Amino acid sequence: MKKTILLAAFAVLGLVSCNNEGTAANTVSSMKTPQMENFDKAFKSLGEPQNRPTEEERKRNTSELSDRRKALLVPASKELILSTGVTEPEMMRKTGGDMSQIIVWATQIYMKKSDEIRNNIKTDK
Amino acid sequence: MKKILTLIGIAAASLAYSQGIFIINNYSGYDFHGSLSANNFAGGCYPYVHALNPETIIAPAYSNMGNSNAIIYKNYRDQYTDSLFPISQWSVTTSPTNTQPRAWNHAAVMPGGTVSDNTRWSATKFQMYFAGTNTPETFFSGNVGNNANPCVMIDNLITTQYGTAEWFTITTGTTVTTFLEIH
Repeated sequence: MKKTILLAAFAVLGLVSCNNEGTAANTVSSMKTPQMENFDKAFKSLGEPQNRPTEEERKRNTSELSDRRKALLVPASKELILSTGVTEPEMMRKTGGDMSQIIVWATQIYMKKSDEIRNNIKTDK
Repeated sequence: MKKILTLIGIAAASLAYSQGIFIINNYSGYDFHGSLSANNFAGGCYPYVHALNPETIIAPAYSNMGNSNAIIYKNYRDQYTDSLFPISQWSVTTSPTNTQPRAWNHAAVMPGGTVSDNTRWSATKFQMYFAGTNTPETFFSGNVGNNANPCVMIDNLITTQYGTAEWFTITTGTTVTTFLEIH
């Protein structure tokens, strides 16, 4: 009798664990903050026809993203930085309002958050 | 001795930047198959580095930051433990007569080392494939990279009727973050 109960208990545990796995796998995207999603969208938007490099931009002898296109990434980058608890004055002081610094800082935050999400999912499993 | 002098020479000539992150965002419905190289942009073209094992990086269709599937290389070493497509061995060329295979954890490719500090991600030769198959989309391919590279003449944008591939950087001070975006 005891054995049967134990077996049943393990079976239930097994089922629960499998269940969790399914949920965890589904949350890769859903665990993202809205700020992260907007950051994704901003990067993706660089490929939209009106945001592609212009003839003028293509003639430049550099691969540095043009200021016009960096500006497309700045609002979502700022949002992401502020979402970590950094205040607007702090952000402006640290970056001097420089678009590249804001975008690169946000990219670092983004990658750290993505790693955390991935690690959480791993440990849940 | 000569080797050490050369190394010091390279270091002195161009301690201008540190290796930044490289991010592949594939927003297209094709699989990306491509090589990856990096080289010195100042004071000669060496060191020159390229992914050796494997030589071809695959970024499956729709793998990008949006679904946390972007292929990211933080540097020659850490990528092995945290990239979704790790490179176990790099080919490192320090002079026209010296090319060595270097494992990801070899001292020669450590972050902060001479090779790492004096190379920037520079180019890929790629071919797009129909997702999950070995069938290439013949007309969606090419060489794309940093068009300010003094060592390689290359365009930073490829436009085809099937999609586009763009290589761009965002620079802050001495750190260059490099993106390859495929739409």
